[in-house]
Amino acid sequence: MWKKLQLKKHALTAISYMLPVVVTAGLLIAIGNLTGGQVIENYKMSYSLPDALVSLGVLGMGLLAPVISAAIAYSIADRPGIGPGLFMGLVANSIGAGFLGGMLGGYLIGFFIKWLVKHLKVPKWAQGLMPMMIVPLLSTLIIGLLMFFVIGVPIVWATEAMTSFLAGLQSSGKFLFGVIMGGMAAFDFGGPVNKVASLFADGLLLEGVQEPEAVKVLASMIPPFGVTISWVLSKAFNKQKFTTGEEDNIKIAFPMGLCMITEGVIPIAAVDPIRVIVSCVVGAAIGGGLSMSWGVGSPVPSGGVFIIPAMTDPVKFTIALLIGSLITGVLLFVLKKKPATDIAIKDDLEEEVDFSDITIN
Amino acid sequence: MKIIGVAACTSGIAHTYIAKEKIVKAAQALGHTATIETQGTIGTEDELTPEEIKAADVVIIAADIKIGGRERFKGKKIVEVPTSMVIKAPKGLIKKIEEELKK
Repeated sequence: MWKKLQLKKHALTAISYMLPVVVTAGLLIAIGNLTGGQVIENYKMSYSLPDALVSLGVLGMGLLAPVISAAIAYSIADRPGIGPGLFMGLVANSIGAGFLGGMLGGYLIGFFIKWLVKHLKVPKWAQGLMPMMIVPLLSTLIIGLLMFFVIGVPIVWATEAMTSFLAGLQSSGKFLFGVIMGGMAAFDFGGPVNKVASLFADGLLLEGVQEPEAVKVLASMIPPFGVTISWVLSKAFNKQKFTTGEEDNIKIAFPMGLCMITEGVIPIAAVDPIRVIVSCVVGAAIGGGLSMSWGVGSPVPSGGVFIIPAMTDPVKFTIALLIGSLITGVLLFVLKKKPATDIAIKDDLEEEVDFSDITIN
Repeated sequence: MKIIGVAACTSGIAHTYIAKEKIVKAAQALGHTATIETQGTIGTEDELTPEEIKAADVVIIAADIKIGGRERFKGKKIVEVPTSMVIKAPKGLIKKIEEELKK
């Protein structure tokens, strides 16, 4: 049953379509940040070339959830899935459900459309309206409302609960506060949990409390650094842990990580979510706890390694960052299994493969 | 046996083309012909012609993702496998197809 749904194939299709978007957006933000750009808040005022680059990249990041959702829906339901899938990604963005929300929306609407196209019978005169109006409208309406009220509402509740919980914790245990903030910031690579931690830190920064912001910066860089370290370890010990495709993604995720763009890890996490997320959260939590208890503060909300000199204690920040990244790296190296799809390019060498599932249709 | 097929992998830059080469070489070694279309991130290359599709005995779809233009193969004998399988054991796969077709 599960195998028949081909959930993995749909997710891989989404990654395939998302990769050019995430790479382009990430690099644009990186180039813009390096040249001193800021996101343009008001287009009626003048802005510089670096500002335009950063803004272009940020717009591209906003495309992630819609592209993921549309590609999953397309993979499931073919062409009718694309339009409604884009809608679901936009809803995921708006309700703060991030790329995980986009994936969920894509699966829901994809299967719904597939079912609709197969089972909805309309009179002959209305057949032209099926693909143009009936299928996209019905599916977007039903699954869209489901996203808003069934998936969106609990996210809002959870966001409020987490914020008040963090506010209560802030005064008591500094290390624990850092652990939770760090873990949350690394949990979903820019998704809803990350947003809660991020907004909370930004809010405190406005009140002059700088420590949570340092934890946020740190925890956003640990996932890409940690994944890179585990890849380096796999090379050093000559143990294959990543497929060639994943290796290519890591090579892109690392420079993005330098600029504090965690999204580069998404393609690696989407293939093997539990192991990657667990390693990232543990590393970021410990790094965050250390940074918090050492009292490192950041006066700037983002910028990656380039704002380390601006920290209140750059040395301790770097140590916390390295410790966290090492923990993530080693943990992922230990947890990760040998990939099933490693390639033997050697010609004529045939491996034992189970062909029993093969059927000719 | 005339084999045609489509290869497509997730990142669409490497495995797609390795899979194509593996099938073509294995087919030649076993005395068949193979024409494979690649659907990489750069787009479709070596697109199969309607004549090639019409003349084919079997279609191998070696893909990890959804491929485009599947409806072209309606009524054909289709074998669907992940790219890793044709990369690991292309000859084994073709031999298995030979067996299945004889049944």
